[in-house]
Amino acid sequence: MTSGDFEHRNMARWAEYESLVSLMEKGKAGPEAERLPHLFREMSLDLSLAESRMYGSHITERLNELVIRGYELIYQRRRSGWEAVVRFVATELPQAVRKDWRLFWLCNAVFWLPFVAMMLSAHHDIRWIQAVLGAEGMASMEQMYGGKEEQLSHLRSEYGSNFMMFCFYIYNNVAIDFRIFAGGMAAGIGTLFFLLFNGLHIGAAAGYVNHACDPESFWSFVAGHSSFELLGMVLSGMAGMRLGLAILRPGRLPRVRALVAASKDALPLIYGAALLTSLAAVVEGFWSARGIPSEWKYTVGIIGWVLHIVYFSLAGRARHAA
Amino acid sequence: MSAHEKLDTLQAVELAEGIEIRLRMAGPMLRAGAYSLDLLIRSTALTVGGVIVSFAGIAIGERVAGGVMLLAWFLLDWLYPVVFEAGKRGATPGKRILGLRVVQATGSPITFGQAVVRNFLRFIDGMPFFTYGFGLTSCLATRRFQRLGDLAAGTVVIYDRVVSPQARVPPPPLTAVPLPVGLTADELRGLALFRERAGLWSEGRRAEIADQAAVLSGATGEVGVNRLMAMAHWIQEKRRER
Repeated sequence: MTSGDFEHRNMARWAEYESLVSLMEKGKAGPEAERLPHLFREMSLDLSLAESRMYGSHITERLNELVIRGYELIYQRRRSGWEAVVRFVATELPQAVRKDWRLFWLCNAVFWLPFVAMMLSAHHDIRWIQAVLGAEGMASMEQMYGGKEEQLSHLRSEYGSNFMMFCFYIYNNVAIDFRIFAGGMAAGIGTLFFLLFNGLHIGAAAGYVNHACDPESFWSFVAGHSSFELLGMVLSGMAGMRLGLAILRPGRLPRVRALVAASKDALPLIYGAALLTSLAAVVEGFWSARGIPSEWKYTVGIIGWVLHIVYFSLAGRARHAA
Repeated sequence: MSAHEKLDTLQAVELAEGIEIRLRMAGPMLRAGAYSLDLLIRSTALTVGGVIVSFAGIAIGERVAGGVMLLAWFLLDWLYPVVFEAGKRGATPGKRILGLRVVQATGSPITFGQAVVRNFLRFIDGMPFFTYGFGLTSCLATRRFQRLGDLAAGTVVIYDRVVSPQARVPPPPLTAVPLPVGLTADELRGLALFRERAGLWSEGRRAEIADQAAVLSGATGEVGVNRLMAMAHWIQEKRRER
């Protein structure tokens, strides 16, 4: 059979397939869509025939394109619905965190050790903190937490301030999480750098407030959202370190394949980080600055930490065992 | 893999159906163009949105309007490419305009997770100082033009439709000449390719190449070219219903 014969004999079938594919690409196909797998297999056969018989690029290029279009239709993924979101929150996220418990503690250490060291350094030598914060940083800390009469609730008195701050925290803090994750691609160095930097900076801010401002206004403000925000950051650090470790220690896989596998493992962590940090933005934007007695705020903060510990250590265990 | 495939932007991918499809990888230049288009689209959206929101700010409050803008900026910065690439067409508007598409290395559409990974890692690809130096280096160092985000997500950027870039000059009218001897499959393929590509060459070059097959055509120069074309026509034409 010559290529001309081949083309002539199959022309009608190819046209049928092409019109069906075009319809389905627009999402308009009816019951005739059931014929797609059958037609697709025939097209695949035609393509391999045309290639092995060397019918020329005119035919093979056309068949190649048609097969790719069908392939994309057949193998497209169904959008997962709310069920998947619930399953993610209820089991997959805490399971993913527990699975990487070593990284969890590593990232916590890289953040908390410099944090505590910086905060405590205020008692010995305030110059470390002054060097980290700089003049502007110290001025803004004093402006926010300087004393009772300058408390945050006053800064938030204008209409819409809460909403704006909520948006700012999403814009700023969630993006920081994503950058911490991306930093893992530099063999984990970027991730560790961001975690360390945040630990130093936040620790310095806390130390400076203890030293020179009104500590109660600061601690009562951060208590409510601290658990969400800091754990969100740790989760994004874990996600970044997954990538970094795949590059540094790919094990038996080639590096690129280790990286692909690691990025799959990192996904629940990065989703979790975005979720926790967004929740933190809600709390920080709408609740943390309200004029509520400090005791209440501390209580809520502690409850938040306890709930997180319970959630990450217990959720999803029963189903995991089953 | 043979040497000529290594040099080509066409990459063969084997499917579960037992066939190979060919994906044409898109190079860094075109992708930079798509990125610029997306940047233009996003900044236009932000500017237009900004004007509208700041007018609305009179009604909803200046600070609320400011918050909406921050939120819009965040979404356009991080989620714009993710949502579009995970969507049905597998491409941001900029990529669509230039006829590009993001697929898995196996040719199938990408998942939401893959879109997240490849676009969040853009931050690293863009380094140092938003020059995309890392991404470009990675593109040039890999066989499939993958930047770091693509490597981690297992994705490639391809031409959405494989079109042959040559503007083919239609071969001159032909009479079919039967082959004087039986040819091997490779020889037949060579003959078919000669006909397909003849339009790309100058007449002198065409004759030069045809002279290599003078044993088959029994002639050199212009006559040889025409006879080879006629034979190529004979092996390809429709013959059954005559």
